[in-house]
Amino acid sequence: MQIIISNSSKEPIYEQITSQIKSSILAGNLQEGTALPSIRQLAKDLKISVITTKRSYEELEKAGFIYSIVGKGSFVAEQNLEVIKEKKLKVIEDQLNAVIINSREIGLSLEDLQDLLNILYEE
Amino acid sequence: MFNLIRRDVILQKRLLLTFIPFILFFIIMDSHPALIFLVASIFIPFNAYAYDEKTEVNILLNSLPYTRKEIIAARYLGAIIYSLASIGVASAALLAFSKPFALSDIAIGGGLFFLFAALTFPLFYILKQGYIFSAVLISFLVLAAIGPQIVLYMSDHLPAITEFLMNLSTTALYTGGAVIIGVLYAVSWGVTTVVYQRKAF
Amino acid sequence: MENVVELKNVTKNFKGFSVKNINMQVKQGFITGFIGANGAGKSTTIKMMMNLLRPDAGEVKLFGLDYRTHEKEIKERIGFVYDGNVFFEGLNLKDIKRIVGPAYKKWDDTLFYKYVAQFQLPLNKPIKTFSKGMQMKASLAIALSHDAELIIMDEPTAGLDPIFRRELLDLLQEIMLDGRRTIFFSTHITTDLDRIADYIAFLQNGELIFNQSIDDVANNYALVKGELGLLDRDTEKAFVDIHRAPTGFEALTDNVKAVKKTFGESVVIERASLEDIMYYMKGRESYV
Repeated sequence: MQIIISNSSKEPIYEQITSQIKSSILAGNLQEGTALPSIRQLAKDLKISVITTKRSYEELEKAGFIYSIVGKGSFVAEQNLEVIKEKKLKVIEDQLNAVIINSREIGLSLEDLQDLLNILYEE
Repeated sequence: MFNLIRRDVILQKRLLLTFIPFILFFIIMDSHPALIFLVASIFIPFNAYAYDEKTEVNILLNSLPYTRKEIIAARYLGAIIYSLASIGVASAALLAFSKPFALSDIAIGGGLFFLFAALTFPLFYILKQGYIFSAVLISFLVLAAIGPQIVLYMSDHLPAITEFLMNLSTTALYTGGAVIIGVLYAVSWGVTTVVYQRKAF
Repeated sequence: MENVVELKNVTKNFKGFSVKNINMQVKQGFITGFIGANGAGKSTTIKMMMNLLRPDAGEVKLFGLDYRTHEKEIKERIGFVYDGNVFFEGLNLKDIKRIVGPAYKKWDDTLFYKYVAQFQLPLNKPIKTFSKGMQMKASLAIALSHDAELIIMDEPTAGLDPIFRRELLDLLQEIMLDGRRTIFFSTHITTDLDRIADYIAFLQNGELIFNQSIDDVANNYALVKGELGLLDRDTEKAFVDIHRAPTGFEALTDNVKAVKKTFGESVVIERASLEDIMYYMKGRESYV
């Protein structure tokens, strides 16, 4: 598991950890049931405080990405990837709807919008 | 507790090598056996204090799982154990050089040591570090200088006391002396414990 | 047990200086950093935690026990690392081990030699020939060899070079891995703690300003920068102390939310380091 922490980032360290573990799980790099390092081990490896890693794991647990067994440690939870994808899709739909409304306000045509999207997507 | 007493030997490992020549010096100088027993007894306990003065030893000892009572008890018990051992070594040395000595020499030398210890040990905890050793040294010299004068003065001017002492049997004299010194030693022990318990480090 | 150390209304007066009414807990399983300027009273507080000094008033409890009745039991469970060398400087480590080891019921020779090897300490050289860093490591090896649950360190990094300090921090995290130990660590070099401490206790002029998790410190305190025109009698209330320059102001707040509400996007809000906090707190002092 790779985690890169930036000290100059505005994002709090615990959030950097949660978001990076989340993406590893969503990208399939961390499989269901994989044991995560203990909060103390992770704190030592990243040279940060235990309280920070503890908070990251708590957030991940709340969001259902991992689960913990007392005395055994934390593991990657079963991810219903279909459900997650659906959720993401719903979010994307909402965002696109907002784009469409904004485009209509300034009279941007569908073709122009598609061109713009193409350019941005390629970047 | 035993460990606290034992530490003096570990600390003085090297110094102890000088112990035998130190005693031999007095023997060769043909000193009075009682004096030899006295200086032999003083060697380890007072060197221990000299060592303790050099370091933050009280901080160390009080950070280890010992109570202050034990730390002081180790000093007083240690002084008894080490003086007895030193007297043993000194006796052996005297025998080896076939210098005669009597049990009364041991009693006088040992008695003087305990008297001196009883009077000076509390000073190590009452006085400020750094002054203690010189204070004790000076008091030892003063005692050695004026002690005999006082005895002479007493025998001259207070014939009642000397007469009383003369009339006592030797056993009574020695027992009485031992009891008085024992009580003084015990009082000194108690005083030092109280002083030490109130100390801040 | 949650709190390994508990100070309740602890007060100690000296001539011209005092530690006032300290209420502080040290949580089990975490590293608590004890910060404050030189002379703030850190050593005095630590001495009271070690029973080297008795408070004039208040209560000191370790592991829920009182020194008056459980002195030996308490000290059995503490490992200590002090700023200066307290061991007999003429002795080598082997002899020191022979004096200190038997004092503890749980002393483990194998463990001691393991740490001595790990720290690359010579066994047969007198302690006085050790560098500052080696002396500190020797103290730490002794503290770790009797299975201490609480390790109290008074300025362990003072006088150490940065490389050595990093090494020490690594080591501290390593000994915290099993979660049984607690470390209480005083320092005035706050960069050591910015990273690894879980809780920060901040002492200033004998008073405990706060004792918070590093998360709470980060949430509550921040540096705020903005134009001088934004400051007036009301808006200034959000700040602990303000530094003004012709180019703008820089201030410390202990209430980030209030600042965000008052100033919105018109100011820059940055994370405050422990050093920033100490520095601005000191500034506040000089006004009072």
